[in-house]
Formats: sequence, structure tokens, C-alpha cells
Amino acid sequence: MIAVLIRVLCLGTAVGTAAALTPSLVSGRHYAVLAVAWVIVAVLVGTYATRRPLVAKYLVPGTILLVLFTVTPVLATLQLSTTNYGDGTRTTKQETITQVLATSVVETPDSPTFHLAVATTGNPVAGPFTFFLVDPATAEAFSGTEEGLVRLEPDQVTVAGGFVTAAPGYTFLTPKQVNDAAPHLREFAVPTEGGAIRSRGLREAFEGRAVLRYDEATDTIVNTDTGVRYTVQRQGDREYFVDGGGTRLTDQSWRAGVGLDNYRKVFTDPRILGSFLGIFAWTVVFAAGSVALTLALGLVLAVTLNDPRVRGQKLYRSVLLLPYAIPGFISILVWSGFFNQDFGLINGLTGLHVNWLGDPFAAKAALLLLNLWLGFPYMFLVTTGALQAIPADVREAATIDGAGRLTAFRRITFPLVLVAIAPILVAGFAFNFNNYNVVELLTHGGPFTPDNPNAGATDILISYTVRLAFGAGGAQFGFASAIATLLFVITGVLAAAQFRATRSLEEVH
Amino acid sequence: MTVRWWREVGWRHVAALLAVAFAVVPVLYVVSAAFNPLGTVVSTSVVPTEFSLVHFRALFDDPSRPFLRWSLNTVLVCVAVTGVQIFCSALSAYAFSRFRFRGRRGGQLSLLLIQMFPQFLAAVALFTMFTAMGEAIPALGLNTIAGYSLVLMGGALAQVWLLKGYFDTVPRELDEAAIMDGAGHGTVFVRIILPLARPILAVTGLLAFVGTLGEFLLASIFLTDTQRKTLAVGLYGIIESDRSNNLGVFAAGALMTALPVVLLFLFLQRYIVGGLTAGSVKS
Amino acid sequence: MKPIQRRCALVAAVTLLAVAACSDGQPASPAPTGAAPAASGAPARQNADLVIWTSEVASRAVQPIAEDFGRQNGITVAVQVISADLAANAITANTAGNGPDVLMLPNDFLGGALQNGAIAPLPLRAEDLTAYESGALASVTRNGQVWALPYGMENLVLYRNTKAAPKAPATVEELVSTGQAAVKKGTVERALSLPVGQDGDAYHMEPFFTSAGGSLFAIDADGQYDPQQVGVGTAESIAAASKIAALGEGGSKVLTRSVDGTNAIAQFTDGKAAYLVSGPWALADIRKSGVPYDITPVPPFAGGEPASPFLAAQAFWLMSKARNPAFAQEFITKTMNTPEAMTAMYTQDPRPPVRTDVLASVSAKDPDMAKLAAGAKNSTPLPDFPFMSGVWPPLGQAYAAIVGGADPASTMQKTASTIESVVPAK
Repeated sequence: MIAVLIRVLCLGTAVGTAAALTPSLVSGRHYAVLAVAWVIVAVLVGTYATRRPLVAKYLVPGTILLVLFTVTPVLATLQLSTTNYGDGTRTTKQETITQVLATSVVETPDSPTFHLAVATTGNPVAGPFTFFLVDPATAEAFSGTEEGLVRLEPDQVTVAGGFVTAAPGYTFLTPKQVNDAAPHLREFAVPTEGGAIRSRGLREAFEGRAVLRYDEATDTIVNTDTGVRYTVQRQGDREYFVDGGGTRLTDQSWRAGVGLDNYRKVFTDPRILGSFLGIFAWTVVFAAGSVALTLALGLVLAVTLNDPRVRGQKLYRSVLLLPYAIPGFISILVWSGFFNQDFGLINGLTGLHVNWLGDPFAAKAALLLLNLWLGFPYMFLVTTGALQAIPADVREAATIDGAGRLTAFRRITFPLVLVAIAPILVAGFAFNFNNYNVVELLTHGGPFTPDNPNAGATDILISYTVRLAFGAGGAQFGFASAIATLLFVITGVLAAAQFRATRSLEEVH
Repeated sequence: MTVRWWREVGWRHVAALLAVAFAVVPVLYVVSAAFNPLGTVVSTSVVPTEFSLVHFRALFDDPSRPFLRWSLNTVLVCVAVTGVQIFCSALSAYAFSRFRFRGRRGGQLSLLLIQMFPQFLAAVALFTMFTAMGEAIPALGLNTIAGYSLVLMGGALAQVWLLKGYFDTVPRELDEAAIMDGAGHGTVFVRIILPLARPILAVTGLLAFVGTLGEFLLASIFLTDTQRKTLAVGLYGIIESDRSNNLGVFAAGALMTALPVVLLFLFLQRYIVGGLTAGSVKS
Repeated sequence: MKPIQRRCALVAAVTLLAVAACSDGQPASPAPTGAAPAASGAPARQNADLVIWTSEVASRAVQPIAEDFGRQNGITVAVQVISADLAANAITANTAGNGPDVLMLPNDFLGGALQNGAIAPLPLRAEDLTAYESGALASVTRNGQVWALPYGMENLVLYRNTKAAPKAPATVEELVSTGQAAVKKGTVERALSLPVGQDGDAYHMEPFFTSAGGSLFAIDADGQYDPQQVGVGTAESIAAASKIAALGEGGSKVLTRSVDGTNAIAQFTDGKAAYLVSGPWALADIRKSGVPYDITPVPPFAGGEPASPFLAAQAFWLMSKARNPAFAQEFITKTMNTPEAMTAMYTQDPRPPVRTDVLASVSAKDPDMAKLAAGAKNSTPLPDFPFMSGVWPPLGQAYAAIVGGADPASTMQKTASTIESVVPAK
């Protein structure tokens, strides 16, 4: 009975929330969000309004969140990977042209800086607007609209403190209203002989003119001073406005679809291919090694402490958890200091003089050691949980059989734990396969050699490819997305293979 | 201290103490940095030599670092995300463990794979998505704790594997007996499986909590307002601006961040270590 | 039935929390203007009338000025510290229409920002800015437009522990010999603290590199960098690299990869290094440490060229998609563009002001400012080409390798070809 009541309440809340959001979403024209909201409600009602024992009742809540906030971004990333989006191509062509023209406005020499008051005969948000201007040198007042500039007689307006403060039939805007009207005022210019008068800040206006003009028919930009024409030309994966000699008017290009070019770049770029195999091998070693080491230490500790006769278990467990309790990026930064050759704690305590982060081999060892420290408490926790799942009678049976402790562990405990945590190991492998943080914060992928400044000794695929995507060419989001997609595929294939292997494990028992 | 004690119990202490040393040295270093008034990389050793609360004061007295506010935001995010994660994961794990349905294997595999997408590489897509979302529903946009929590809830099924693995070890005879008595699948889940799975619920809860606590890459993109930051991103800002001399403040912050995890663990310990023997329902 | 109730109570609690988190500090209706931001918790992005993005250090300096501006205009102001990758995040957010109105970053932001259309020119003419140091102003001027208002200068200088080395060294050689003498005496443990690190640090090595005759890019007739002519692989640069190698781990060990950005300043403030090559950002820590210090320009090698560090200017940028362009323009060009505001910036964040009148007035009370500014005498502007993100890392790695004992000639030649490959054709 209570269950039904709760179900009704929860569904009612969902429908009510969606209904409450609907008016504002419709008025704001956010149809996509609106559709998503109602689809979610429909799914929830369809799933929970029946009394049938549906599997969906258990899968829907997590799946909705997964689809919304994991699958959707993945699909968006896929879509992004077919564009040239990145530094220099963040704007649309229209935006690029508008910005280039707007920034070509030069102030007319010797023209005054006017004191400005913005007024309207309509409403303060949408206009129509009128500029009331005062030339501070001559104290003459003008009114300006998009029709042009009109000189005012002193009796037409009220001037105070060098500004027009009132005019019959006009509402004067407050600074806040001037600010809020910015989208309209950006476009607003009072045409004059020398160009146009535009606003500047809240209380000033100046006369200037745009040197560049865009001609839509021929898709060219013309410099009205020099007569130079800039036409669209393709360079690499993007287009620019260039003059006859091929010199760019601006480095700002625009966003465009490039099909599968980003993927082609990955498979044809000699820089990527040249280092790929070595880096891939180290990535696998790093991921597998991290999982194996953390599991070994975690499991040994879990088994060791999983004995009621050991006093102080609680204390041991809490202390062993500490490396896990401190946020990872903090520990990594602390550890990177420990590995310092001259001042580091490790050489200091051991009396060694290893250049931990400067020697390719030592840096790899340092990375694995750090990852062991960061990860063993996790495995300790997980295996402790799994050990609890082994029924006591099984454990007792094993020891009564007269099997040695090690044999019992090897033949009974270990396989049982392994079955329980197999997916965790696969997920752990996948996590470390793409563990960007630890590599980036400890070694930055280094040490590097001048022969190959792109691929360092400890680089894993993700740190390496991120450097390629965000290095010399600035941020290349399209390219980075293509790389992310490929990494996703590689990780997936490896994980699926491991998953098959663990399946065979499950069938043993 | 007989030979037998050493063979049965003593060696366990030795092994545990070795591991404790490994685990605790870096932590001690952080502690000593937090209490050392100089608080620089060069002046800090492993063994705390001096004791001063100057860095903790610096954390709490500086309005540009509203540490308490950050802590509150962090707790909000962690509790919401952990709760949702465990709730959704437990439900799905039960379905995967006990139901046989079409697409079960494929569903599990695709779930495992989709969770492998490196989320921070989708940051641009997420940013664009939440920009649009914020225009439609301001309360869930960028720079809101709720919006940021939602992003992290994309990982709602992260804990399915551990839970499913554990549910699989719960003998089916228990379910079947209950169903004979006329219980529905919902009752079986709530009355039999969940109470027995307390240890793993506690473990996964802790894992989800810690995972959320340490997230700073997305947080640094999503949360820009000083008042809306989480501890991780706030502390990261302190290091970023630090040029080697903020170590003390930073270490103090790190300790304060680790504290809730340790407390949570202490609270959860009795659930984690109980085993099936104590698995009968006590309510 | 009890467990069910408990479960759902938990769900309800989570839901409530989420709702509480949503409504937290978010007024459903637009916030009344004029509310003091400090009192009500900072406003949400969309409700603040002026949003400034900055780093933690600079936020302390600008906060009081911005709050004052807000009070005068009856608007809300939010100064937001961006923890990671300020430049990239600001450009991305600006593109989405969610960025700040005003951004605080050094002048090397210019190239990338122009390439992305992320900034708008300031409505100021060069003649409005005669009070500003010309080099710093030039570094934020492009195509006849002023793109940012510079406020603080950043260049490398030589900090000297006067207890270990009472006299300022005239040359690098003298620096090394006096530093090593101080180590022998036991006053300090290191002669020089200059961050190299495992990745190298091209910015900090620049004064030594240039003094020894090296160059990154050739300088053209207009005094601008010519990236088409990379100087790293030239005979002069290789000779300079050999001089650096002689100071490295295979030579006098004055330079070592163990000194890096995380410990370089601390070495000096703990009294363990006789000399430190660093910028104005180190000053506050050095003063706090109580180490007796003096500041002089980075010295040249004996018989070499002048040591020329990079000069960067911290500046205020106006974003192209600012939601509040009028307030942003007003804030930068009217409020910040005054001696009073520039003096206030210096008080909170001591670095030489770019305004010459303010530099003179603060130097009268604080001689360190004049000394820091004197270090910029032979400086060259910090390059702002968008492709510099592909130049700094390999050049840094080359220095790290050379300090570690790699062959200077082949290292510099390989690095030169790497750099040439990232410079786009004209």
C-alpha cells in the first residue's frame, strides 16, 4: 500500500515538475529541453504506472542519467570530431566577418569625444534610441538617430554638468539600462560626413568609420582606404580572407565540417604513427601493471587483516585508507616533490641519487610506484568487501580439509574474490589506460629527448594525443574529439577481450 | 607471544605495519607541512617539527577563500551524487544479477564500454550542453552546484559491477524461499538482498564519495563563482596561484578535505566488516 | 514494511538535497540591482552586472576597486577566480556567450585571443595612454588598436641574499664565483636558484641565453619578432647553449634540473641560495621570509651581450561577447585608467605599475619597484604568437637536456627544426 502511495507521489512530482517548467520553456523557445523533459516523464510513467514485474523498473533511473549525461556528450563529441572546431575556428563565418569589420573602426582624427546621454521614445530595452550629444569644447548639443545628426538649440533640451539630462517626449536611460541595451547600441550608429558616431562605455560617443567593408555578392572584404580586396581562400583545414599575395587579413577563420579529415590526419601523420607502437605498449604495461600491483598489495592486506584475532583492525584499516582519502591531485603534487633528485624525500631516505623523473626507466618506475600508493587502498577496500561475501562455512570447510593456508587461499579464496571483482579489474584497467591526471601531474609525459619533443618516456596514449591536439596548433577540439573517439574504441576492444576472458573464469565456478 | 601466535597472528601485524609505513609517510609529510609555520617545500620534513595553526587560520580568515562554503558545497555534491549513484547502481545490479532478459549481456557489455569514455575529453560537448541547459533552466546551468552534480550523475551506474558481483554471491535459495512465501521481486530486493549486501553498499558508497570529492577537471570548467566552488577546485586554485610557498595552506586544506572521508569510513566500518554471518535483517 | 519506508526516506532526502542545492542562492526572479554582492553571497553569473575573471593573486587586488565601482553605479559585481587554464576557459566560455566581461591576463594572450575573436578593442587611443610605459603599451597594441589596459610589469631580475653576497655581481662569472664562495663558507647551500626542472623552462633561461649570444627569433627592421627566422639553431645560439651547459650538471653545477618552479623561490626564502632569478611574483614571499635581499638586473656574461629577459604586462581585457560591454568599457577605460586605481592595484599586488607616474610615486616609497622596473631595461616583449604553445615546450626540453649534459649542438639543431615545423608559413 505504502509502495503504491510512494509510486504515485514520485510520478506526480515528475509530471508536476515537467508541467511547471513547460510555460517558461515554451516562451523561451527551448524546445529541445522541453522535449527531453516530457520524454523522461513519459518513460517514467510508462515504466512505473504498471504493476507488471518489469526489468525496466530497475534499469530506468540509472539509464536515464547515463543517456543524458554520458551518452549524449559522447555523441556530441563524435559529431565534433567531424569539424575543424578549435582555436581560430570558434566562430561562424558571419560572426568572423562582423567582428573583423567592427574592429576596423578608426576614430576620425581631431573629432571631439562627445558627452553622451541615451534616450528613447519607446521602451528602454528595444528602443528606438536617440543619442543626445554635447561637444565638451563648444558646449553645443546635438541629437542623433540612424537618420543623422541634428544640432539643437539651447531651449530644446536641459543640459546639466555637460550632459543633456532631459528632453520633452524622451525617457533617458539609466547606466544600467544603457548597459542592458548593449546588443542594440552595438549596431546603432549616427551617420555623419566623416563616418558615424558610436557610443563608447556609458557616457561617451566618438566619431569614427569602419575601414573594411564586406561585399556579400562577391564574398570579399574591401579595405576602403587602400582598395585592397580580400577573398576567401582555403589553407589547410580552414578558410581565410587573403589578399592577392596570399597574406591573411586576420588569423581568425570559422567553423566548418571537414568530414573524416581528422581521422585521416591521425592515420597519416608520421609524427603520430612513428611513436604509436612504443607508446601503446607502455600504456598497456602501465595500465596492467597498475592494476596488478594495486590488486596484489590490496588483496594481501585484505586477507592479512581479515582475521578476527588481529587486534587494532579498525585502526589499521583507517590508516591504510588515508592515501585514498586525500584528493588525488594533491598527493600527486606532493609525491612529485619526493622524486626530486637533490631535495626529494626518496633519495634523502634511501641515500640513492636516482634522477627519478629525468631518467626514462626510473620515471616509469616512479609512475608505477605512485599509482600503487594511490590505488592500493581502493583494491584493499574492494577485496575486503569481496572477502566478506565468502560464506563462513566455505572458509571453515577449507581449513578443516587440512589444506594448507596457502593452498586454501589459492584454490578457494582467490578464485572467489576474482570472480566477484573481475569487472572492477577490467574497469580499473580501462581507467588507468586513460589515466591522464597522474601522468600529466607527475611527469607531464616526460622525460623527453630533443629527437622527439612530442612523445615522452612516460607518455600514455591519452597524454600524448592530448599534447598533439592542444599543442602547437592551439586547442584543436575537432581533432581532440577524433582522438577521444579512437581511444574509446581501442579501450573498448581491449576491455571486451578482457571481459570475454573473465567470462571463462565465471564458467569455471 | 608463542611461536604459534606469531605464525597465526603476529606476522599479520608485521605486514600491516609495513603497509602502514608506506601509506602514512606521504600523509605525515602533508601533516607536517600543514602545521609548519614556514610552510614551504624546502622547509618541510616528514616528521612534524613545529606546531602552528597559522595555515588553518589563513584558510578560515580569508574571504577570498570561503573554505566553509566550499566544504558545504562539496558535501552537497558528494551526498547527492553518492546517493543517486548507489540507488541507481543497486537497482540495476539487482536486475543484472537476478533477471534473465533479452539484451542482458549486450547491455552489460555496452554499459562497461560506455563508462570507459574519457569524460574530460567530452568537456567541450558538456560545456556546450550545459550552456543551452542554463538558458532554458537557470537553476541547472553552468556555475550551479545542481548542474555540476547532474554532470557527475552521468556516472550513476559506476558502481554496478561491484554490487552485481556481490549480489551474485547471495544464494538464490533465499530468493526462492521468499517467493514461495508470496513475496514479489521488489520485496525480495528490499528485504533480502539489500540487508545482506550492506558491506558492499558501504564500500561502494565510500568509493562514490571519494570519487566525487576528488573531481576537479570538470569542476574547474563548470564552477567559476567563488561561492559555488567545491573543495577540490578551490584548492586547485590555491596551488595554481601558488609559486612554491603556498604549500602550508594547501596542505591544511588537503587535511580538511580528507577528514570527512576518514570519518565516513569510521562510520561505515561496522557495515563493511560484518560478513554474511551478521546478515540477518535487524530493523 | 519498515525497510521500504527507510529506503524511500533516503530517496526523499536526496531529492530534497538536490532541490535545496538548486534553490541555493539562486533567486527565482532577477536579483534586485544594487544588492551588495559580498553580503548576499556572490550573484549568479547571469545576474551580475560586471563579471571579472582572474587568478587568485590578482583577485585580491581588483576586488576592492570593483566593489567600489559597483557601489558607485548601483550594480552588482562578481570577481571570479578561475582555477585552471584561465585563458583557454575564458575563450571557450566567451564563444558560448557565457564568459566574463573583463579578463585579467598578461599580454601574450593577445595572439590567441585575436585569432579567436575573443576580445574587443578598447575605445582608447594611444594618445590617451601617454602615461603608460611605451613598451608595455606596444605589447597590447595591434593594427592601430589598443586591445588591453596594462597595469603591472613582469620581468626577471636577480634577487641576491646580501648576507651571502654583499656586492651585486657585474657578470654571470662573478655571480658564480661569489655564489660558490658563499657555499664553501657554509652561508648557503646553493650558489644560484634558477628553475630548470625536468621539462626545462625557456622563460627563465632567456636572460642567460640572450647574453651568451643566443636568440629565439630574429628581430626585423621594425623591431618585431620574425618567426620565419628561428634563431635557435644558429652558431651563436649553439655557442650560447655551450655556455649554459658549462653551468649545468656536467659543469659547475650552478644550474640543475632539481631546481624547478615548485622549489626555486623557496630555496631563496629559506636562505639556502645566494642568488635567485625570478620575477615580481616572488617579492611578497621574499619580504615575508626576512632574508636580507637586494634586487639588480640579471647580469650578462663577461664580454657578452646584455641579458635580456622577456617583458610581460599584466592587463585588463574586454571580451568580445561581454554581456555588459558598457560597464566593462567604463570600468577599464575610466575606473582602472586612473593613478588612484593603479596605485591600489600595486598596494595589494606589488609589481611595478605600467603607468609611469604611478611607478615614480610608488618607487619613492618602495625602492624595490624601481629596481624591478630597472630589470626590464634590455628586455624584449613576451611573444604572443598563437603557436608559441608549440615553441615553449621543445625549447624548454632542450635547455633541460643541455643542463643535464646533452650535446648542445645537436640538441639545439633538432630543437630548431622542431620549432620551424610549428611556425606557420607567412
